[in-house]
Amino acid sequence: MTTTISNPSGAVAVVEGLNGNGLNRATEQAMSKPNPKSFEDPVRVFLRALRKLHSLWLSWTYPFASVGRRFSVHYSCSLSRTIARYISIGNNVLIEQNCRVDVPIVREGCSPAIMIDDECRIGQGGTILAINRIHIERDVIFGQSVLVMDHNHAFEDVTVPIALQGTTKGGTIRIEEGCWIGFGAAIVCNEGELVIGRNSVVGVNAVVTRSIPSYSVVTGNPARVVKQFDSSKGKWVLGSSAARGSEAQSQPVEVTV
Amino acid sequence: MSSMPEAMRHVMRDPRSKTLEDPLSLVTRLASRFRTLWMSWTYPFASVGGEFRAHYTCDLRRSIAPYVRIGDSVRLDRDVWVNIPVLPGTNEPVIVFDEGCKVGKRCMISAKNRIHFERNVVLAPSVLVMDHNHAFENVNVPIKSQGITPGGTIRIEEGCRVGFGAAIVCGKGELVIGKNSVIGPNAVVSRSVPPNSVVAGNPGQLVNDLLVNDLPAADAR
Repeated sequence: MTTTISNPSGAVAVVEGLNGNGLNRATEQAMSKPNPKSFEDPVRVFLRALRKLHSLWLSWTYPFASVGRRFSVHYSCSLSRTIARYISIGNNVLIEQNCRVDVPIVREGCSPAIMIDDECRIGQGGTILAINRIHIERDVIFGQSVLVMDHNHAFEDVTVPIALQGTTKGGTIRIEEGCWIGFGAAIVCNEGELVIGRNSVVGVNAVVTRSIPSYSVVTGNPARVVKQFDSSKGKWVLGSSAARGSEAQSQPVEVTV
Repeated sequence: MSSMPEAMRHVMRDPRSKTLEDPLSLVTRLASRFRTLWMSWTYPFASVGGEFRAHYTCDLRRSIAPYVRIGDSVRLDRDVWVNIPVLPGTNEPVIVFDEGCKVGKRCMISAKNRIHFERNVVLAPSVLVMDHNHAFENVNVPIKSQGITPGGTIRIEEGCRVGFGAAIVCGKGELVIGKNSVIGPNAVVSRSVPPNSVVAGNPGQLVNDLLVNDLPAADAR
């Protein structure tokens, strides 16, 4: 308890109310008891209602290939109705602010081009662009600003601006169950199939262009395996199983994810 | 302001800067102003300074406000997300912005233990500052259901600048970014950085030490 007393001379004296132990009583109470949970901002409730309405509108009126229950998408996302039939969405999928889920070029037989399975979460500012197929299996979580692209701009013709050169043929991407894609990671597949194995971790700002085995941690640009689960030992070991004993072992890398 | 370089003064007197602002942009500015006042008045912040400015799209829940301390002239730009995933058991502030901090667009600040931004720290857009992580060691459970690690604490000292898209992540212990350091764009920092240094790359590496004489005086910023 701190009280401030101004005396007539204008000086300010601060009096501390101390208890027997010399501990400030207010501080002691505060340390023993956490803050009462403050109620949520009513403005926020309004925004949540807006989000809910937007999600319901999308689920009911957009011609998705399939859409599950409790699909929640923020109203700032760009998800166009014309491409909704190339998108399949599972139950409890959550798409946060400013995401872009798009099929820039519609091709024959690519339906659905984007499959997001049950319980996936796409963080703020995520971009998922598919012309062939991107399959995100269940329980995958995305950090913010993640890019997943199964094609690229073509740039080989030096006489034409890249903007007019169209896209490459591209490949397909599959992100298996239970993965975690960190903040700012980019997963780009130019050709063939890119698979991110089960329960793998893609670190912050990693750039992934090749497949990743299951139960591994990749970081860096270009991404490499820094940690992997060794099923024979039953524990996580540094370095990839292929490179073990050589460079990766001699320079243990601190895992940043 | 008196120590502002001559070149900068010239720019400020550029007649083009007198072009009238688009009246439509006043709407968003007004919205941000209302949001800021609303937050300052009704949110139970640990403390909030004068001239605090938050964009109306900022995501800062009211329930975490008692654990956030905001100094004078702090600016939170568009789509900044300030988050405390697990409310702590004490009344200690968890996220502290000292005076003059600027947080760029789309930044994410997520603290479980403590993140302290000292005076005049500037975060460019899309920066991640996180003092914990998802746990991923159990291979039988999806990472989503494994919760978060205990984590550590982060202190970004006075006058640091963090470049676009950089990530400052602390797995355990204390991570200190020394005074007046510069973190390059898209760098990933997971260890402490000495004062006056430049860090770039992924994983982040010390590029060189800044010469103290090259730095502008603290009051010029």
